[in-house]
Amino acid sequence: MVLWILAFLLPPAVLYGQQAPAASQRYRAPVVKDTGSLEGPRQPIFFRHDIHAGQDQIPCMYCHYSASVSSEPGLPSLQTCFGCHQLIGGSTPEHQAEIKKVRDAWREKKPPEWVRIHALPGFARFPHMRHIKALGTQSCATCHGDVQHMPQVYQVSTLQMGWCVRCHVEHKVTRDCTVCHY
Amino acid sequence: MTDSIDRRRFLKVLGATSAGAAALSSCGIGPEPTEKLIPYLIQPEDQIPGTATYYATTCRECAAGCGVQVRVREGRAVKLEGNPDSPINRGRLCARGQAAIQGLYNPDRVTHPMIRNASGTFEAIDWDGAIQRLSAKVAGARGKGIVFLTGAEQSSFGDLVDEWMTQLGGRRQSYEPFGFEALRAGNRTAFGTAALPTYDFANAKYLLSFGADFLDTWLSPVEFQNGFSRSHAFDSGRPASMAKFVYVGPRLSLTGMNADEWIAARPGTEGTLALAMAQVIVSQRLARLPGDAPRLSGLLARHTPRAVAEVIGIEAQVIVRLATEFANSKGGLAVAGGMAAQYPNGAEIVAAVNVLNYVAGSVGSLVKFGADLAIGATNTFADLASLTSDMSAGKVALLFVHGANPAHSVPGAFQQALGKVGYKVSFSSYLDETAAACDLILPDHHPLEQWGDSRPRAGVIALQQPVVQPVFDTRPTGDVVLKLAGRPGTFQDYLQSKWRARQKTNFDQYWMDALARGGVYAEASARARPVRLAATAAGINTAAAPQPGGGDQEVVVFPHPVLHDGRGANKPWLQELPDPVSKIAWHSWVEVHPDTAAKWGLATGDFLLLKSQFGAQKFPAWITRSVRPDVLAVPTGQGHSAYGRYAQDRSANAFELLGTQVNSYGGRTFAVRASATKTGEHRKIVTTEGSPRERGQGTVEVLGLARAQGLHTGDHPFHYEETPEYAKDAVEWWGERQHEKASIGNYAGDHPRWGLAIDLSKCTGCAACVTACYAENNLATVGEQLMQRGREMSWMRLERYWLTDEKGVPQGAVNSPMLCQQCGNAPCEPVCPVFAAYHTPDGLNGQVYNRCVGTRYCSNNCPYKVRYFNWYNYAERDGEWEAWPEPLSMLLNPDVTVREKGVMEKCTFCVQRIRGAQSQARLQDRNVRDGDIVTACQQTCPSEAIIFGDLNDHHSRVYELAGNPRGYHVLAGLNTKPAITYLARVVAQETPSRG
Repeated sequence: MVLWILAFLLPPAVLYGQQAPAASQRYRAPVVKDTGSLEGPRQPIFFRHDIHAGQDQIPCMYCHYSASVSSEPGLPSLQTCFGCHQLIGGSTPEHQAEIKKVRDAWREKKPPEWVRIHALPGFARFPHMRHIKALGTQSCATCHGDVQHMPQVYQVSTLQMGWCVRCHVEHKVTRDCTVCHY
Repeated sequence: MTDSIDRRRFLKVLGATSAGAAALSSCGIGPEPTEKLIPYLIQPEDQIPGTATYYATTCRECAAGCGVQVRVREGRAVKLEGNPDSPINRGRLCARGQAAIQGLYNPDRVTHPMIRNASGTFEAIDWDGAIQRLSAKVAGARGKGIVFLTGAEQSSFGDLVDEWMTQLGGRRQSYEPFGFEALRAGNRTAFGTAALPTYDFANAKYLLSFGADFLDTWLSPVEFQNGFSRSHAFDSGRPASMAKFVYVGPRLSLTGMNADEWIAARPGTEGTLALAMAQVIVSQRLARLPGDAPRLSGLLARHTPRAVAEVIGIEAQVIVRLATEFANSKGGLAVAGGMAAQYPNGAEIVAAVNVLNYVAGSVGSLVKFGADLAIGATNTFADLASLTSDMSAGKVALLFVHGANPAHSVPGAFQQALGKVGYKVSFSSYLDETAAACDLILPDHHPLEQWGDSRPRAGVIALQQPVVQPVFDTRPTGDVVLKLAGRPGTFQDYLQSKWRARQKTNFDQYWMDALARGGVYAEASARARPVRLAATAAGINTAAAPQPGGGDQEVVVFPHPVLHDGRGANKPWLQELPDPVSKIAWHSWVEVHPDTAAKWGLATGDFLLLKSQFGAQKFPAWITRSVRPDVLAVPTGQGHSAYGRYAQDRSANAFELLGTQVNSYGGRTFAVRASATKTGEHRKIVTTEGSPRERGQGTVEVLGLARAQGLHTGDHPFHYEETPEYAKDAVEWWGERQHEKASIGNYAGDHPRWGLAIDLSKCTGCAACVTACYAENNLATVGEQLMQRGREMSWMRLERYWLTDEKGVPQGAVNSPMLCQQCGNAPCEPVCPVFAAYHTPDGLNGQVYNRCVGTRYCSNNCPYKVRYFNWYNYAERDGEWEAWPEPLSMLLNPDVTVREKGVMEKCTFCVQRIRGAQSQARLQDRNVRDGDIVTACQQTCPSEAIIFGDLNDHHSRVYELAGNPRGYHVLAGLNTKPAITYLARVVAQETPSRG
């Protein structure tokens, strides 16, 4: 009897079991003590994708806003960062130090200079929006890896042409040169 | 990225073993260096990175006032297109308009205010300091003569300056080197009004131009070219078919080249010819004569064909024939301008042509007064001459110059007079000759960076808005004037207040609509002001007056179609664009007839020193039949002594030959008598012309009008070489192999086959498409030296072949745009050792830049010679052959790869636009529709001669045109199966001229 009542009271998401895991099952980003051992280039602000995308479940396209309409994925403007961080100051001294950098940048009107990780040479064109259209809005991890659990982003796929062509062959789409090289 | 050496690096090391390893790191090969990504501080709302935003504004490269839409990528202007909403250019744009971004990002722009210091050189000064000093000068000059000189400026800016000058007791004066004074005076003589009408080329049934270069520089070239295409092009669906075009003038300009017949009347006699034609029409009652025609009887009686034929230099029967054709067409339009309006009797010639239009009934229908073209309100050369003498007499204490360069077009006289002016201020964006002589330079924003408007003609108010942030530390001159006048606000506020006065209610919506459309437009055809003959019409005297100058040769100075009065000379795209008639680039020339050249022992490239009593300049000769034997013709535009690296110290300034006297109609005479002597020097001229004769190779096909009208679908009027017997099996075998290949992998299934149709009866050879292609596809300009060696990179070139009568006199020319034909059986594809040239499933001849190793076998094999090799590194920063010195690289299109040395390139049918349209269609879950993809050349062509589309789509326009009986393939006998169908040029049935 009690169990029936409890079932009504529990949040529907648990009964359906899909979207938001129960509080105890949600991903919590680890505390990072040794940044030197992390893969990927050091960025001017230690932006944690595992906290923002993994723990806080912010969708990729909240920040990388043009990925579904343009070949460029879009880099979040400092206003996007400051939108939350004007209020969110950070829960640990390490977090607070990094967030202070965001606030200083906004005050001084100097956006941070991020180090680029994924770069194609100038003679290859990659249209993000075509791939998102074909593979869906949750497909970012296919090429960029498990960014939701990366404290510091690093390149996972080789991005070399053979890797692109393999996927095109698997999905039976065009391998014509002038689709990407023009 | 792995560390292994890649193929290109390997080859480079092989070649550079002696140069050392240091050379490799700076060349841009190997792994890309780490880049930084810098986000916006605040995301602009209307721009998405990777996609373009378009802003509507107005082109200010000439006084026509065409509307443009500027494609802006991440805050940089990368391409101008015509604005389809503007009734002036209807979405089309000429080469000069396309090159406007080279003015915006020009490496020789004045980047900050400059003041002349004690030692006579320019040094930088801050804005506030400069304006402070200037205010003091203004206060000190009050009452001592203040003049503000502008270009043609019928705009809010002009109004502001007028107000300020009134406030100061000074005056504003405008100056255009080619100012159409004769047109105004001629209209006044004939009709009593000095206003300029508009001309309805689109509905004309017979076109007669007395010198008027309406396809190059006369009044509103893009508008007129579009109209010309509608009336003159052959359209087999239209029962009235094509309007015949006859050109009267001493030389064939770009406009003359498109004529069906050339009447090479003696210079200065064009008016006499017009009156003789009017006499024939009136005396034989070939048209419904207007009521006041009898007032002309005395005048016309003196101009019977027999009486004047000898003076003009043609036969009387030709005059009768022309008059009969003109009147019987029931829609004849005669226009006068260009050289005909620049002789000492230019105004009389214009008046005579007005009379011809009047008796034939065109005034009020095809010639519409009421449009009041803005350039008709510009001050005349007489006004400039009086300003010059005021300046020389010390009567001008303070001179402002904005949008004019009289020190180049009136060298000597104006330059000297400048020396007597108390204080001279220039607002020029470039250090041109006039600015270089000034005391203070307050550089204006470029028109693409600032607010403004212009009123090119009645009913059209074109709005101008900034499309990019200012590139340099410049300020809009309107702001500076307001500050000096002690008025609050910026020029943008002033502009809006002027617009508010026009629309008091609901202004915000009105303003937003105007911004989106580029202005407010009312059709000019709505109102035509009726005109009658003036009393002075009966007294027109078209006798050719003697030219000044003192020499024995007649020299005509004509405006260069793209450099114009010299303002285009600092833009490399315009310098590298071959002149449509002579195909000469980067320098001036003098046109000499072969008979004259034979007398003098002159060859093309030999220098001739032309000396009039006013000045002397030397020009290399270009021997051509497109000029009268007794005339030498030189273009303006070159010979700058300042104005930046592309213009300075280059070739000769034709303005030096001309006098500065004002002629009877207040204008300047652009013909002079000079002596011509060979200097003994010779140069190899920079030309893209191979042969002026087509020699029946099947490059261009021409049909007579009667033949063209008689064609039906399925007809094949052109001779094709039959496949010889011994080759028939091989051709069949080849066809079967193609079918097999077309079913493998990527090639299987339904694909579009991209194709182009080019109508040669519409193409005028204006070369707007060439400049548009340069802009869209990041083509490098190689400079004079390399172009002389044939290294130009133009993917699209215009081949001009003369159409001559039985005596070899050109009657016109057929222009054929030649570009990669995207052959179905391409000779370039099988010979590439690395498969950089290959056939795509959608019918393109693909060129993959990163695979190319530069054997150049493909170019060798191409029969059309449309493949271009990067012999040098044109993109290298500070390199010897740098094509885009900072900040010119800002105009590069980010959608197209910039090629480096060692790579072959060619027309791609704007594949970036094809892929872009396909992506858009995919995002919207639909297929690409006909008309979605527009190539750069197609979009800009004022004649609408080029149509792109899918040849596999049987409902597309290009498919319909490809099946047109006038259609043919160039060099069809080579079995290359091109994807481009050319439609043959149609010429009116004509009797050859004997001018």
